[in-house]
Amino acid sequence: MTRASRWADEEADAAEAAQRKKEKEAKKRLKLAKQQVEEAEEAEEVDEAQESDSHRFKRRRLSGSVEGNDEPDPKPEERKLLRFEAGGWGPARHTSNFEILNAIEEGSYGWVSRARDTATSEIVALKKVKMDHLQDGFPITALREIHILQKARHKNIVELKETIMGNDLSEVVLVMEFLEHDLKTLQEDMAEPFLASEVKTLLRQLGGAVDFLHENFIMHRDLKTSNILINNRGILKIADFGMARMIPPPHAPLTQLVVTLWYRAPELLLGAHTYDTSVDMWSLGCIFGELLLKEPLLPGKNEVDSLTLIFTLCGLPTEKKWPAFYRLPNAKSLKMPRESRNTGSIIRAKFPFLTNAGAELLSSLLSLNPEGRPSAKEMLAHPYFAENPRPKPPDMFPTFPSKAGQEKRRVREPLAPKRGEAPGIQQIDFSGIFANRDEEEKGAGFTLRMA
Amino acid sequence: MQVSPLANPLATVAQLETSGSQLDGIPADLEDSIRFAGARLTQAAGILLRLPQEVIAQAIVVFSRFWVGPEGGSLEEYGAGQVSASSLYLVTKLSAFPKSARSIINVYAYLDSFPSTFVDSDLLQQKKADAYFVSEGTYQSRRTALFNTEQRILYILGFQLHVSLPYILCVTYLQALDVFTHPRASELANKAIAHLNTSLLSPQLLHLTHQPPCIATAAIYLAAKEVGIKLPDVEWWEVFDTDREELGFLVVGLLSMESFATAEKQKWGEGKIPMTVEELHREMQTRRSANGED
Repeated sequence: MTRASRWADEEADAAEAAQRKKEKEAKKRLKLAKQQVEEAEEAEEVDEAQESDSHRFKRRRLSGSVEGNDEPDPKPEERKLLRFEAGGWGPARHTSNFEILNAIEEGSYGWVSRARDTATSEIVALKKVKMDHLQDGFPITALREIHILQKARHKNIVELKETIMGNDLSEVVLVMEFLEHDLKTLQEDMAEPFLASEVKTLLRQLGGAVDFLHENFIMHRDLKTSNILINNRGILKIADFGMARMIPPPHAPLTQLVVTLWYRAPELLLGAHTYDTSVDMWSLGCIFGELLLKEPLLPGKNEVDSLTLIFTLCGLPTEKKWPAFYRLPNAKSLKMPRESRNTGSIIRAKFPFLTNAGAELLSSLLSLNPEGRPSAKEMLAHPYFAENPRPKPPDMFPTFPSKAGQEKRRVREPLAPKRGEAPGIQQIDFSGIFANRDEEEKGAGFTLRMA
Repeated sequence: MQVSPLANPLATVAQLETSGSQLDGIPADLEDSIRFAGARLTQAAGILLRLPQEVIAQAIVVFSRFWVGPEGGSLEEYGAGQVSASSLYLVTKLSAFPKSARSIINVYAYLDSFPSTFVDSDLLQQKKADAYFVSEGTYQSRRTALFNTEQRILYILGFQLHVSLPYILCVTYLQALDVFTHPRASELANKAIAHLNTSLLSPQLLHLTHQPPCIATAAIYLAAKEVGIKLPDVEWWEVFDTDREELGFLVVGLLSMESFATAEKQKWGEGKIPMTVEELHREMQTRRSANGED
């Protein structure tokens, strides 16, 4: 009872309000029309003064009808409003809609296999979520990956088609587009490294995708060649967003246990609690080097070994190059030599076939100081991409037999870090990493402070 | 295609026509009451957990999505309190403000300790420590329930957790309308934001039927009318992609909230809106016997 009357009231009110609005509208429209007629007349008068010949003709037309005039219509019936679409939702489909063809690999948090959609015969990649860490409910890594992939629609980012579930709902599978190769396996099977023009194309696609991610406040945090897929048409796509997350508000604590060791930026190895998208740029630098060498650039056996390799390649951090270095948690356990002779970067020497622009780009990506690394946008604007040889068009890429299509792969590189405490760096023995460079310096490079 | 960050996935007509609860024979008015109470419960829990309003609002939208459509969740199967808790847990997990299962369980236990659905908001801030500590056994079983319902939500929503909110748009629109030079601009802004918060509780599920730009525009329109600040004398809402008809519908929807809430409060008085399946059954039993006596 009360309900009906209340709504009736509302409707009456609304009708009344609408009526009032309509009246006001009408008045306003009239006023506007009048104003425009007046303006037109004024304009006419000006015209009149200028060319009296056309005066009569125009006058007649005006008095005839306002609508038929070339005046803008005071109230166009349909104004185009933007309409935003974001689809809808419905229950997740069942896993039985797909038929598994063969296993591809085991990733950091899931098993990937090649499968066929039984309805459409489309070939897809299925990634089954590992339900290992159930003390927090549905695994956050999988949740983030799904959430981020839904947002990140880009031609160089692998497409998440849908998420399906099994009978007991604890079986969760991501349905993704299938690509024939990953960059790591592909390179291992190739006799020669990619050509300079091919490296450029790959790096440019990669930079485009990373730029898109960073523009959308997403950090990937696990960029590496095995997470980069490529199809037989030369199109590269970033996959595996299991480590990715949205950039949190400033000063929120982040886990430092991110990025597979070989691609992990020095500030992460040194225990930085705050970091930003520049960790992805470091990984891009490592991938760039790997594409040129056809082998991992910094394959450290552990955290300390990684730091050693980094300092050997990029030189020692100095107060001038990286002022924040000494404030990093793990930096205290390092003792730097006083002399900085012969401890600079050897990137230029390591890549003799790279052009100066290329070496400059690689050095900036592998800048020890995170602030020295270019953003993805800056990277794409680098002269390296403009100079000869020009990037090879993707459809000119050679095709390779697909391993993912046929057989299971072996995992030979370290996996992405598992959840848990980051192991602090306690002992660092850097003695002799520069020993071969200068005999006089022997033994004086680093000493472990035992106090 | 890139999903617009301004847009929300919307419910289809079929989803709005029928709900899982309806198919199970639960009266529509009871479902409205429970959804309203569930949204308020989520809001109250979020405040006690010191979550930003944006996170709470996302949880309420997820909670609302769960119940719509013939394939949506039914109150016959899931308690609204449990779905509210799991929605909040799920949304905070993805946000920059994750909360432990224990915190969520404690807060919901605390809110459940009040005898009435419509308690004074001052009363909520009281410290009744004994009310929010659950025994270890209770904790274990509630945690299992929390996780199971979390999976159920993911299933029913098909992992569609993307929620766009009108809050930032609202401030941007106010800036675009150049109202902040007005001496009472902050009053206008507060009112508009308050309307946005209210819109989350609407039985018309405004966030499931309208896009954030329209909701923000309607909130500003209404707030300006109430505060008495004159906005441009043209169809300014079209600049914000809202047509007159949509604006009218949303304004009426927002205006009706006060009387809806008052009616709910009167209807339930000191009583409690059923937040579990058992409480719902009891309520249905009471209604049936009341009808039988008539």
